[in-house]
Amino acid sequence: MPAGEIGDSDEALAAQAAAGDPSAFETLVIRYRSRVYGLACRLTGNESDGADVLQDTFLQAYRHLSSFRGDARFGTWLYRIATNAALMHRRSRARRPVESLDEYLPGFDEAGRHRRTPDELIVASRAEELIDRRTLAAEARKALDRLPETHRAAFVLRDLEELSTAEVAKVLDIEPAAVRQRVHRARLQLRGYLNALAGERA
Amino acid sequence: MTQTCQSGVALLMEYLEGSVAPDVAAAIERHVSGCTRCQAFVESYRLTPGIFRTATTVELPEDLARSLQEALRRER
Repeated sequence: MPAGEIGDSDEALAAQAAAGDPSAFETLVIRYRSRVYGLACRLTGNESDGADVLQDTFLQAYRHLSSFRGDARFGTWLYRIATNAALMHRRSRARRPVESLDEYLPGFDEAGRHRRTPDELIVASRAEELIDRRTLAAEARKALDRLPETHRAAFVLRDLEELSTAEVAKVLDIEPAAVRQRVHRARLQLRGYLNALAGERA
Repeated sequence: MTQTCQSGVALLMEYLEGSVAPDVAAAIERHVSGCTRCQAFVESYRLTPGIFRTATTVELPEDLARSLQEALRRER
Protein backbone atom coordinates (compact mmCIF):
# COMPACT_ATOMS: atom_id res chain seq x y z
CA MET A 1 0.00 0.00 0.00
CA PRO A 2 1.43 3.41 -0.88
CA ALA A 3 2.31 5.76 1.94
CA GLY A 4 0.34 8.90 2.55
CA GLU A 5 -3.13 7.48 2.82
CA ILE A 6 -5.95 9.83 3.67
CA GLY A 7 -6.39 8.44 7.17
CA ASP A 8 -2.80 9.11 8.24
CA SER A 9 -2.25 11.91 10.72
CA ASP A 10 -0.10 14.85 9.65
CA GLU A 11 2.51 13.86 12.19
CA ALA A 12 2.67 10.27 10.94
CA LEU A 13 3.07 11.54 7.38
CA ALA A 14 5.79 13.96 8.44
CA ALA A 15 7.67 11.08 10.09
CA GLN A 16 7.36 8.98 6.92
CA ALA A 17 8.51 11.91 4.80
CA ALA A 18 11.49 12.53 7.09
CA ALA A 19 12.37 8.84 6.69
CA GLY A 20 12.62 9.41 2.94
CA ASP A 21 9.15 8.74 1.59
CA PRO A 22 8.37 11.51 -0.93
CA SER A 23 4.73 10.52 -1.42
CA ALA A 24 4.06 11.16 2.28
CA PHE A 25 5.29 14.72 1.87
CA GLU A 26 3.21 15.14 -1.26
CA THR A 27 0.10 14.22 0.72
CA LEU A 28 0.96 16.90 3.29
CA VAL A 29 1.44 19.43 0.49
CA ILE A 30 -1.97 18.61 -0.95
CA ARG A 31 -3.52 18.85 2.50
CA TYR A 32 -2.03 22.25 3.31
CA ARG A 33 -1.24 24.09 0.07
CA SER A 34 -4.52 26.02 -0.17
CA ARG A 35 -4.39 27.09 3.46
CA VAL A 36 -0.75 28.14 3.22
CA TYR A 37 -1.44 30.08 0.03
CA GLY A 38 -4.39 31.87 1.67
CA LEU A 39 -2.29 32.72 4.71
CA ALA A 40 0.60 33.91 2.52
CA CYS A 41 -1.63 36.18 0.42
CA ARG A 42 -3.23 37.67 3.51
CA LEU A 43 0.11 38.31 5.17
CA THR A 44 1.92 39.72 2.15
CA GLY A 45 -1.07 41.58 0.73
CA ASN A 46 -0.92 40.27 -2.81
CA GLU A 47 -1.06 37.08 -4.83
CA SER A 48 2.31 37.24 -6.50
CA ASP A 49 4.14 37.53 -3.17
CA GLY A 50 1.76 34.91 -1.82
CA ALA A 51 2.90 32.52 -4.55
CA ASP A 52 6.57 33.06 -3.65
CA VAL A 53 5.88 32.52 0.03
CA LEU A 54 3.90 29.35 -0.73
CA GLN A 55 6.86 27.88 -2.55
CA ASP A 56 9.40 29.04 0.05
CA THR A 57 7.33 27.54 2.82
CA PHE A 58 7.11 24.04 1.40
CA LEU A 59 10.73 24.01 0.23
CA GLN A 60 11.88 25.04 3.70
CA ALA A 61 9.57 22.53 5.33
CA TYR A 62 10.93 19.79 3.08
CA ARG A 63 14.54 20.71 3.78
CA HIS A 64 13.97 20.92 7.52
CA LEU A 65 11.71 17.92 8.01
CA SER A 66 14.30 16.31 10.27
CA SER A 67 13.97 19.25 12.68
CA PHE A 68 10.22 18.69 13.02
CA ARG A 69 9.64 17.01 16.33
CA GLY A 70 6.52 15.05 16.97
CA ASP A 71 5.80 17.09 20.12
CA ALA A 72 4.28 19.94 18.07
CA ARG A 73 1.51 19.71 15.56
CA PHE A 74 2.65 19.68 11.96
CA GLY A 75 0.19 22.45 11.05
CA THR A 76 1.57 24.72 13.77
CA TRP A 77 5.13 24.09 12.60
CA LEU A 78 4.20 24.75 8.97
CA TYR A 79 2.27 27.92 9.81
CA ARG A 80 5.29 29.19 11.70
CA ILE A 81 7.50 28.64 8.66
CA ALA A 82 4.94 30.36 6.42
CA THR A 83 4.49 33.31 8.77
CA ASN A 84 8.24 33.87 9.00
CA ALA A 85 8.64 33.49 5.24
CA ALA A 86 5.94 36.11 4.67
CA LEU A 87 7.63 38.44 7.14
CA MET A 88 10.99 38.08 5.41
CA HIS A 89 9.31 38.67 2.10
CA ARG A 90 7.66 41.86 3.25
CA ARG A 91 10.89 43.14 4.75
CA SER A 92 12.77 42.50 1.51
CA ARG A 93 10.38 44.87 -0.25
CA ALA A 94 11.07 48.56 0.11
CA ARG A 95 7.79 49.78 1.47
CA ARG A 96 6.67 53.26 2.21
CA PRO A 97 5.86 53.77 5.85
CA VAL A 98 2.15 53.26 6.33
CA GLU A 99 -0.25 55.38 8.28
CA SER A 100 -1.57 53.70 11.40
CA LEU A 101 -5.24 52.91 11.81
CA ASP A 102 -5.44 54.56 15.23
CA GLU A 103 -7.91 57.14 13.97
CA TYR A 104 -10.43 54.30 13.61
CA LEU A 105 -10.30 53.22 17.25
CA PRO A 106 -13.60 53.77 19.06
CA GLY A 107 -14.04 57.17 20.71
CA PHE A 108 -15.41 57.78 24.22
CA ASP A 109 -16.49 60.86 26.16
CA GLU A 110 -15.14 61.78 29.64
CA ALA A 111 -17.63 59.43 31.25
CA GLY A 112 -16.31 56.54 29.16
CA ARG A 113 -19.43 56.43 26.99
CA HIS A 114 -19.33 55.69 23.24
CA ARG A 115 -19.30 58.99 21.37
CA ARG A 116 -21.18 57.55 18.42
CA THR A 117 -24.85 56.65 18.33
CA PRO A 118 -26.04 53.05 17.94
CA ASP A 119 -26.93 53.73 14.29
CA GLU A 120 -23.45 55.07 13.64
CA LEU A 121 -21.80 52.17 15.48
CA ILE A 122 -23.71 49.37 13.77
CA VAL A 123 -23.02 50.37 10.18
CA ALA A 124 -19.80 48.27 9.93
CA SER A 125 -22.06 45.20 10.18
CA ARG A 126 -23.62 46.16 6.87
CA ALA A 127 -20.32 46.50 4.98
CA GLU A 128 -21.06 43.60 2.62
CA GLU A 129 -24.43 45.03 1.73
CA LEU A 130 -23.23 48.64 1.28
CA ILE A 131 -19.86 48.16 -0.42
CA ASP A 132 -19.41 46.28 -3.69
CA ARG A 133 -17.32 43.13 -3.50
CA ARG A 134 -14.34 44.30 -5.45
CA THR A 135 -14.00 47.53 -3.50
CA LEU A 136 -14.36 45.70 -0.22
CA ALA A 137 -11.65 43.19 -1.22
CA ALA A 138 -9.25 46.01 -2.16
CA GLU A 139 -10.04 47.99 0.99
CA ALA A 140 -9.64 44.92 3.21
CA ARG A 141 -6.13 44.34 1.83
CA LYS A 142 -5.26 47.99 2.24
CA ALA A 143 -6.41 47.98 5.83
CA LEU A 144 -4.52 44.77 6.69
CA ASP A 145 -1.44 46.35 5.14
CA ARG A 146 -1.70 49.25 7.56
CA LEU A 147 -1.59 47.06 10.68
CA PRO A 148 1.71 46.71 12.51
CA GLU A 149 3.46 43.48 11.45
CA THR A 150 2.92 41.66 14.74
CA HIS A 151 -0.76 42.62 14.94
CA ARG A 152 -1.39 41.63 11.33
CA ALA A 153 0.08 38.17 11.88
CA ALA A 154 -1.96 37.62 15.05
CA PHE A 155 -5.21 38.83 13.46
CA VAL A 156 -4.74 36.85 10.24
CA LEU A 157 -3.93 33.61 12.06
CA ARG A 158 -6.65 33.96 14.69
CA ASP A 159 -9.51 35.51 12.77
CA LEU A 160 -8.93 34.78 9.09
CA GLU A 161 -7.28 31.35 9.31
CA GLU A 162 -9.40 30.62 12.39
CA LEU A 163 -6.71 29.10 14.58
CA SER A 164 -7.43 29.08 18.31
CA THR A 165 -5.72 31.65 20.50
CA ALA A 166 -3.58 28.85 21.97
CA GLU A 167 -2.49 27.73 18.49
CA VAL A 168 -1.64 31.28 17.42
CA ALA A 169 0.42 31.66 20.59
CA LYS A 170 2.42 28.58 19.56
CA VAL A 171 2.88 29.74 15.95
CA LEU A 172 4.07 33.20 17.02
CA ASP A 173 5.87 31.96 20.12
CA ILE A 174 4.16 34.48 22.41
CA GLU A 175 1.77 34.22 25.38
CA PRO A 176 -1.97 33.75 24.72
CA ALA A 177 -2.64 37.05 26.55
CA ALA A 178 -0.37 38.82 24.05
CA VAL A 179 -2.27 37.17 21.17
CA ARG A 180 -5.57 38.44 22.57
CA GLN A 181 -4.17 41.93 23.07
CA ARG A 182 -2.91 42.14 19.46
CA VAL A 183 -5.96 40.56 17.86
CA HIS A 184 -8.28 42.80 19.90
CA ARG A 185 -6.46 45.96 18.84
CA ALA A 186 -6.53 44.86 15.20
CA ARG A 187 -10.26 44.07 15.43
CA LEU A 188 -10.98 47.48 16.93
CA GLN A 189 -9.07 49.27 14.19
CA LEU A 190 -10.47 47.16 11.36
CA ARG A 191 -14.01 47.46 12.71
CA GLY A 192 -13.60 51.24 12.75
CA TYR A 193 -12.19 51.21 9.24
CA LEU A 194 -15.17 49.21 7.96
CA ASN A 195 -17.49 51.49 9.85
CA ALA A 196 -16.04 54.55 8.14
CA LEU A 197 -16.20 52.92 4.69
CA ALA A 198 -19.73 51.67 5.13
CA GLY A 199 -20.82 54.90 6.83
CA GLU A 200 -19.92 56.92 3.73
CA ARG A 201 -22.32 54.77 1.73
CA ALA A 202 -25.17 54.35 4.20
CA MET B 1 -16.95 48.54 40.02
CA THR B 2 -18.44 51.09 37.62
CA GLN B 3 -18.78 49.60 34.21
CA THR B 4 -18.52 51.99 31.27
CA CYS B 5 -18.62 51.45 27.51
CA GLN B 6 -14.87 52.12 27.46
CA SER B 7 -13.96 49.65 30.19
CA GLY B 8 -16.14 47.00 28.53
CA VAL B 9 -14.57 47.55 25.13
CA ALA B 10 -11.12 47.16 26.66
CA LEU B 11 -12.06 43.68 27.90
CA LEU B 12 -14.24 42.62 24.99
CA MET B 13 -12.02 39.93 23.46
CA GLU B 14 -11.08 38.56 26.87
CA TYR B 15 -14.78 38.45 27.69
CA LEU B 16 -15.74 36.72 24.42
CA GLU B 17 -13.02 34.11 24.97
CA GLY B 18 -14.19 33.47 28.51
CA SER B 19 -10.98 34.67 30.10
CA VAL B 20 -12.35 37.30 32.48
CA ALA B 21 -13.43 36.58 36.07
CA PRO B 22 -17.14 35.70 36.49
CA ASP B 23 -17.93 38.92 38.40
CA VAL B 24 -16.30 41.00 35.66
CA ALA B 25 -18.24 39.09 32.99
CA ALA B 26 -21.47 39.70 34.89
CA ALA B 27 -20.73 43.44 35.17
CA ILE B 28 -20.06 43.64 31.42
CA GLU B 29 -23.29 41.79 30.65
CA ARG B 30 -25.30 44.07 32.93
CA HIS B 31 -23.87 47.14 31.25
CA VAL B 32 -24.36 45.88 27.69
CA SER B 33 -27.92 44.71 28.30
CA GLY B 34 -28.85 48.30 29.14
CA CYS B 35 -26.67 50.10 26.59
CA THR B 36 -27.78 50.25 22.95
CA ARG B 37 -24.45 51.79 21.89
CA CYS B 38 -22.54 48.82 23.28
CA GLN B 39 -25.00 46.37 21.71
CA ALA B 40 -24.38 47.96 18.31
CA PHE B 41 -20.65 48.07 18.91
CA VAL B 42 -20.40 44.44 20.03
CA GLU B 43 -22.37 43.21 17.05
CA SER B 44 -20.16 45.02 14.56
CA TYR B 45 -17.03 43.89 16.45
CA ARG B 46 -18.13 40.26 16.24
CA LEU B 47 -18.92 40.49 12.53
CA THR B 48 -15.67 42.20 11.52
CA PRO B 49 -13.47 39.07 11.29
CA GLY B 50 -15.93 37.28 9.00
CA ILE B 51 -16.22 40.27 6.69
CA PHE B 52 -12.43 40.44 6.37
CA ARG B 53 -12.23 36.67 5.93
CA THR B 54 -14.66 36.67 3.02
CA ALA B 55 -13.11 39.77 1.44
CA THR B 56 -9.58 38.28 1.46
CA THR B 57 -10.38 34.72 0.40
CA VAL B 58 -8.32 33.50 -2.56
CA GLU B 59 -8.32 30.26 -4.51
CA LEU B 60 -5.08 28.47 -5.23
CA PRO B 61 -4.63 28.64 -9.02
CA GLU B 62 -4.02 25.24 -10.65
CA ASP B 63 -0.83 26.33 -12.39
CA LEU B 64 0.58 27.42 -9.05
CA ALA B 65 -0.26 24.05 -7.48
CA ARG B 66 1.54 22.40 -10.41
CA SER B 67 4.65 24.58 -10.25
CA LEU B 68 4.87 23.92 -6.51
CA GLN B 69 4.81 20.20 -7.16
CA GLU B 70 7.53 20.57 -9.80
CA ALA B 71 9.73 22.67 -7.51
CA LEU B 72 9.44 20.00 -4.83
CA ARG B 73 10.27 17.20 -7.29
CA ARG B 74 13.43 19.05 -8.32
CA GLU B 75 14.36 19.31 -4.66
CA ARG B 76 14.48 15.53 -4.14
